[in-house]
Amino acid sequence: MEILKAENLVKVYQDNGVPVNALRGINLSVSKGEYIVIAGPSGSGKTTLLNLLGALDKPTEGKIYFEGEDITLKEKKELSKMRLHKLGFIFQAYNLIPVLTAIENIEFSMMLLGIPDNVRKEKALALMDELGIKELADKRPNEMSGGQQQRVAVARAIVNNPTLVLADEPTANLDSVTAGHLLDLMEQMNTEKNITFIFSSHDKNVIDRAKRLIILKDGTIEKK
Amino acid sequence: MLFKLAWRNIWRNKRRSLIVLISVMVGLIAIVFEDGLSNGMMRQMLFNQISLDISHVQIHKAGFNNNKIVKNYIPDYKHVESILNSTPDVEAYSKRVFAAGILSSASNSSGVILYGIIPAEEARVSVIKSSIVEGNYLGSDKRGIIIGKKLAEKLGVGVGDKIVAMANTLKGDIGSDAFRIVGIFQTSSSEFDKMAVYVNAGTEQEMLGIGDNYHEFAIITKDYNNITSIKKNLEAKLGSKYEVFTYRDMLPMLIYQMDLYKESMMILNIIIGLALIFGIVNTMLMSVFERLREFGVLMAIGMKNSRLYLMILFEAFILGVIGTIAGLICGLLLDIPLAHSGINLSIFSASLESFGVGAVIYPVLSLGNIFNAVLLIPFVAVIGALYPAYKAIKLEPVYAINYV
Ligand SMILES: Nc1ncnc2c1ncn2[C@@H]1O[C@H](COP(=O)(O)OP(=O)(O)OP(=O)(O)O)[C@@H](O)[C@H]1O
Ligand SMILES: [Mg+2]
Repeated sequence: MEILKAENLVKVYQDNGVPVNALRGINLSVSKGEYIVIAGPSGSGKTTLLNLLGALDKPTEGKIYFEGEDITLKEKKELSKMRLHKLGFIFQAYNLIPVLTAIENIEFSMMLLGIPDNVRKEKALALMDELGIKELADKRPNEMSGGQQQRVAVARAIVNNPTLVLADEPTANLDSVTAGHLLDLMEQMNTEKNITFIFSSHDKNVIDRAKRLIILKDGTIEKK
Repeated sequence: MLFKLAWRNIWRNKRRSLIVLISVMVGLIAIVFEDGLSNGMMRQMLFNQISLDISHVQIHKAGFNNNKIVKNYIPDYKHVESILNSTPDVEAYSKRVFAAGILSSASNSSGVILYGIIPAEEARVSVIKSSIVEGNYLGSDKRGIIIGKKLAEKLGVGVGDKIVAMANTLKGDIGSDAFRIVGIFQTSSSEFDKMAVYVNAGTEQEMLGIGDNYHEFAIITKDYNNITSIKKNLEAKLGSKYEVFTYRDMLPMLIYQMDLYKESMMILNIIIGLALIFGIVNTMLMSVFERLREFGVLMAIGMKNSRLYLMILFEAFILGVIGTIAGLICGLLLDIPLAHSGINLSIFSASLESFGVGAVIYPVLSLGNIFNAVLLIPFVAVIGALYPAYKAIKLEPVYAINYV
């Protein structure tokens, strides 16, 4: 089942008046349950593409359909609602809210959904248990390692049972062992919960484990 | 949870939050203090006037106030006295003979108000007896006179010296009498000290030729807050032959001045409020720009802009509330002891005295004003956060996330 479709995506940034063609006509179709890695050299447009797919930014041209609806036409309010209900995000770093503990970070998106206090505590704990990070519950981000933080970020991204999780270089700041654990975790969530993952990476280890690989070059998808 | 988040965000940069807190505190302390001081000053101005010659209520023959001439004496003072004696609101009264006249020493002369009083009665309504700084208060000596210090200086006289008083008599000619200074008083008002002199009522009545009559009753009531109803009551009992004035009627300038003063204090409060707003705008802007990335993450995980906006306002509100509470406590701790001991402003006392205030101000806290300030300041803080919060949500999440 197709959940996401991009048609002829173009993104032109203005860099001090100089147009920068970050994406030049991307066509992409993503089905439910896919596990996709976007690879490509620095500056090829990976972050730009993920931002557009996650409705964090608008394309200069082209259409993005999420579950059949054109999200390029939606208003800010609808988009944040969509992100809350359907999407999960993991960023390269500084993902977590520094003043909240791990469990509070995970609870936060449930709070935004209006889930009552006791329910969300229980749910967050159960998920942390499942991901093997229960002992981090009461730690603040600055008391956790990068790998631990990213795992909490994964938990936060999937706690509301999103359709799609977008991750921009989630392993970039991690050593290969820790990165491996994080990938295990995401793969596990992909197979167990049928959550669709799209993430970008430079990392050969990550790319090797991709179930589907998309290679970007100069803002276009390279044909294999 | 939003509260928790806001609360922790506040303490994240302790120094910055403390600066806001302190500025809110100082603002509030300033408001409490200045309010106490101005209230105290206004009350003192009023009380001083009341305790000089105004008293709470005055009774005259109808028309006296517009035309203070000798023949406008009270038609039947015994009748007035019996009414006052049977009015429970009346604490004390003093009968006065009143004449505008001239007081002359060997070297100089000056226009004065010559009050003829019964010393014991006057002592119960005015501050003159306790204001004697040289010699004694007026006794039974028929030729005794007490005058203000300023006047004594002007006339170049002292206790024991002789002076001559002149005033129009009932018949229309000039009456004069020689007096010996028995005492010199100094009140909070140097203007008053230049103007008012006191002799025994009997002597002045004789000099003016008005028999045993008086021009004025000065009355102190048990509760001056009830002054309007007391006035109505007395007017009803006395009828139209008499006029009844309260201190409010007699001190229109002062009442007006007090109103004006209140307004200028309000303007000062507004200025303090504005300063607070700018302080908060500044701090909140810094704190918002520091956290743009975080806001980007919050937006990305689906926090609505309106909620983010509220969260930022909430932070400012909490800061405002804490600052208000702390400021109120400090302000009261500072003000309450001063309300007992008074603040000595003798450096400014020359100007204050001509104002009729006196050199030592006792701050008086008005609950209403403090209540207003306490209610307002947290909202002032919120107003200061409106713009920074707006800046935060104007950003597209992607730019916020990439903002470093
Ligand atoms: N906000 C921006 N303003 C101007 N140009 C931008 C902006 N963001 C990205 N670009 C440009 O767009 C192109 C694609 O950038 P993007 O960040 O998508 O690449 P990337 O593949 O994520 O690179 P990296 O691997 O280094 O993260 C680059 O040439 C970059 O310089
Ligand atoms: Mg990138």
